[in-house]
Amino acid sequence: MMTNDPYFIDFPARIQAIQREMANDGVDVYLGSRLRTLSWTTDAFCPWRSYIVIPPEGLPTVFTFVIDAARVADESWLDFDHVLGFAPMGGQDQISAIADLIKKYLKGGKGVVGVEAGMSNYLPEGNLTYYEYTAFEAALPDARLVNALDIVDRLAMFKDEGTINRFRKAGRMADAGHVAVLNAIKNGHFARYTETEIAGIAAMGMREVGSVWEWSFTGGNEIASGYRTGLMGGACTPPTERKLRAGEPLMVDLHSTFRLCLGDHTHNYLLAPATERQKWHAKNFVDLVSLCLETYKPGITPSSLADEMMLFCEERGFAEFMVPGFEHGIGMLGDEWRIGRNDGPFPYWTNPDHVYQPNEMLICAIQYACPEEEIGFRYENAILITRDGCETMSRYPLAIEVIE
Amino acid sequence: MTPIKYLSHAWAAEAETRLRGQLTPEMMKNLTSSMLTIYHNCPDGIDRALYYKLENGVFTDISVREEPFPEAEFIISGDYETFARISRAEIGSRSALMSGKLKLQGNMVKALSLASIVDRFNKILSEIACEY
Repeated sequence: MMTNDPYFIDFPARIQAIQREMANDGVDVYLGSRLRTLSWTTDAFCPWRSYIVIPPEGLPTVFTFVIDAARVADESWLDFDHVLGFAPMGGQDQISAIADLIKKYLKGGKGVVGVEAGMSNYLPEGNLTYYEYTAFEAALPDARLVNALDIVDRLAMFKDEGTINRFRKAGRMADAGHVAVLNAIKNGHFARYTETEIAGIAAMGMREVGSVWEWSFTGGNEIASGYRTGLMGGACTPPTERKLRAGEPLMVDLHSTFRLCLGDHTHNYLLAPATERQKWHAKNFVDLVSLCLETYKPGITPSSLADEMMLFCEERGFAEFMVPGFEHGIGMLGDEWRIGRNDGPFPYWTNPDHVYQPNEMLICAIQYACPEEEIGFRYENAILITRDGCETMSRYPLAIEVIE
Repeated sequence: MTPIKYLSHAWAAEAETRLRGQLTPEMMKNLTSSMLTIYHNCPDGIDRALYYKLENGVFTDISVREEPFPEAEFIISGDYETFARISRAEIGSRSALMSGKLKLQGNMVKALSLASIVDRFNKILSEIACEY
């Protein structure tokens, strides 16, 4: 399809790709329930419990809470006849309505229904619950339910041009948030603000350039100052009402959203005056991030990267401050957990031997923490694995500045 | 007026006369749609349906059907007795839907926008003196 929209994604082609994989895997109907699946197939934000029923051929049908169905239909590429609402009413509860539609696609009610089951560290993942699974089993007595989430996961792993461009745009939106924060805190003005206010200033900066949401379930924009930057292993810092203080570090982790694609970038500061020891920590971190970004390329794995980075940390004498992991997954809204497919030694966790390939996207995520000295840093940036390296989605300059 | 047997052909004819006479296309929002109300376990033991067809707000078909039932955009089904209780105003139609006594098939977002219209013609139908 010809289009001038750099953010265009061919969603009908995605559905057809799923249908081809369903045929290959012997799945007659796919029942998706994960937020990542809804985003990847509908191009609409589905904040309420939602499902997508994908038949062997033809258009899929989305089911969502009735109060939001018209809005989802308005934003999706699907028409109003393929976005239906459910509610606690005879024939209109989600189990009855979805089972009735699935039966229409199964000959005599018999066949294989692919569902999405498993577990995740990410709370809004949306796997089918035990109740839903058993209720669908009862409502479809002649069908067999199988876990089929790998179909969507393997298709969504490699990013198309429209998706990549959306991520680039979201990355630049995070950059605008950082500019807004820097303008607010420089010249000693940081002492006026709390962490929550910094989160709000960043949000305003990002929204002014079109970001629609501080998407992260971990508290929107994550802001930490002082000892909170150095919490051991602490890669989750929803902002608090803590005031920014002179002589402390500041961690600004921003989450912008553009057409369901996600900006995720962290920048760190030292609020003056900064000690030589703080600057030593800061240099360690910046050097490590630089090396990590230089190292990301096709052919490496999470474990080989971690080995290489931890060796550098050991040689420089700061390995004790490191979390020995350097990534998390990223994709369209709802996909921010595992890298790649569910094929590792621990089910539903990232496979440490996953081999990166061009057009995969992930978050380069690095956490440095020294609780004893109440200092820590975080780096996050969405990166695209390219043919010979990686491209960062945020272009905000890598540094840890001392803010006077 | 002599009570008419509920769901008989005479009742359907009376319903059509009243609906056409009292509801203008504007009052029906110039709606084009179809609806099937399926009554399970009628007093004689069989299932029957009432079929409504509207074109541009005009009722073009109101008829009592027996199986096989025609296709329709919206299907409401339930026991005959449930519908009889609704007609006698012993229970409300919304309550019957919310408690699962009635089952609705069709796009509920569209159905919500049509609820006031359906209420309008149900009110007219409830004014027909019936015997059940």
